[in-house]
Amino acid sequence: MSYIRFENIVKNFGTHEVLKNIDLEVEKGQLVTLLGPSGCGKSTLLRCLAGLESVTSGRVYLDGRDITDVNPKDRDIGMVFQQYSLFPNMTVEQNVAFGMKMKKMPKDTIAAKAREMLEIVGLGDKLKHYPSQLSGGQQQRAALARAIVTEPKVLLLDEPLSAIDALLRHSLQIEIRRIQKELDITAIFVTHDQDEAMVMSDVIHLMYKGKIDQSARPTELYTNPSTKFAATFIGHYNVLSAGEFARLTGEHIDSADIAFRPEIIKISDKPVDAGGCYGMKGRIQVSLPHGNILRYAVMCGDIQVDVDVLFSGVVPFETGTDVYMAVPRDACIYL
Amino acid sequence: MKKKNMGAPIIMIAILIYLLIPLAVSIIYSLFEKWTRIVPEGFTLGNYVTLFTDQAFLACLGRTVVMCIIPIVLTVFTVLLALFVTTVYFPNLEKYVQIICMIPYTIQGVILSVSILSLYVASPTFLSNRVVMLFGAYCIIILPYIYQGIRNGMRAVNMPMLLEAAEMLGASKLYAFFKVIVPNILSAVIVSSLLAVGIIFGDYVLVRNLAGTSFQNMQIYLYQTMKSDSTKSSAVFVVIMMVTFVITAVVLFLKSREGRQHIQKRVKE
Repeated sequence: MSYIRFENIVKNFGTHEVLKNIDLEVEKGQLVTLLGPSGCGKSTLLRCLAGLESVTSGRVYLDGRDITDVNPKDRDIGMVFQQYSLFPNMTVEQNVAFGMKMKKMPKDTIAAKAREMLEIVGLGDKLKHYPSQLSGGQQQRAALARAIVTEPKVLLLDEPLSAIDALLRHSLQIEIRRIQKELDITAIFVTHDQDEAMVMSDVIHLMYKGKIDQSARPTELYTNPSTKFAATFIGHYNVLSAGEFARLTGEHIDSADIAFRPEIIKISDKPVDAGGCYGMKGRIQVSLPHGNILRYAVMCGDIQVDVDVLFSGVVPFETGTDVYMAVPRDACIYL
Repeated sequence: MKKKNMGAPIIMIAILIYLLIPLAVSIIYSLFEKWTRIVPEGFTLGNYVTLFTDQAFLACLGRTVVMCIIPIVLTVFTVLLALFVTTVYFPNLEKYVQIICMIPYTIQGVILSVSILSLYVASPTFLSNRVVMLFGAYCIIILPYIYQGIRNGMRAVNMPMLLEAAEMLGASKLYAFFKVIVPNILSAVIVSSLLAVGIIFGDYVLVRNLAGTSFQNMQIYLYQTMKSDSTKSSAVFVVIMMVTFVITAVVLFLKSREGRQHIQKRVKE
């Protein structure tokens, strides 16, 4: 039986249905990500598990217990919020000790565990600091320590890294994952950043308009999206309708849409061998470097196709160049 | 080279002088026997000696301090609870609480005292007690100041999120409110309370109408002294100023983290 189970969860805000019959299961020890664009209901689902929002209908189970109507404080769930939520009037040590005090743990144990946990998150030297004396990254690490020091049954992370700069965010992603594995915590992570979800998750539940669009392991979700939305949200797929595809290649497909990743397209300024490939022709409109990737926006009439090539410092095709593209048939996904 | 703008400092100094002149003149006036020429004559501390050996004055001073503390504590506590309930459970009611709390702004002291008298003077309960009425009237008069201060303080902290964070750590909403939110809005509570101290210390109308001149506060004492001895009344005025200043300074010192740490350090030593 699953460790966490959402059963037919419906959540309405007034007449607006935010969650539509969500069924979801999470296994113990996993780090599961709820991924989706703003307003898709991922944070609401997390808050329903935390008890900070009541469900309109449906049941929530944690470790075999129905917690649907249980008070948040009695659910034994830790949470890290999007905004910095440390108590400003308390030191870092007092913040971390707060949950243990609520559990009426012995004073010596509280002090020792608070120190130990702050060492784990790398804030062993910041015990007596107030939140205002910490950077954003340090504050979120302290919040993480505060949330997990009481050894909750599940840890909820509601976009905890969204307010942190890119470089630090990447190191904290790795750090959170390390701590989660080290302490064998079951965690649910909410993010709208697909790269973050890819790096951190055992399983990704992609949400769209209040529903789970696709649930899969990160690599599977990337290589095998099952819906048009999944294809466009993950991996920057080129998604074309059957009609558009026929206009580009002259070939007809049975499905409504076809998706292919930008990096599988072969591109050349000379006609390419199209064996086993769909052939297309277009003109480069713009090329943008994305780190080690150079992304070409190729206009095929009024249809744009994105093509990624490894960027070695040289731009092989200038803007306005006519190019030929070949898309391997077996790498296409028919939606 | 950037030209130094002297406008702001000049305006600041002018305002400071304007505000300090009455105080300075009162201090000088209270320290001399007479001031009929440019230079005052006959330096004396007699006014202060007389005041601080006058049991009636000391009783009056103590009474005024008590009359400040009780209504302020009552009002702060009531407003905190009301705002806790409206913020956490009934956010839609907050606008009504705001309207109710702001109404006293528009009520004149005379009207308030007459209304309270006509409502409660015939009551068979403790509410007909004049001192209880006075405390009640003070609670009403300071309500807008206390409410506005606390509400602004609450808006400055992310109250819903801090409450949720505390709740997730096992605290009840009420415990979280008093343990997490109140310490973070303490500055707002203190500032609005000090404002209320100033208002109650300066009251003449309410105490005169509700409790009568036999129940003296500092303003009544000052008024009666003015009729008999002008230099002594200046000394009373200076004492009122000093007492409110000392209260302000002590409260602000106790409030500051440095102050608390300093006291803890001293206690340990």
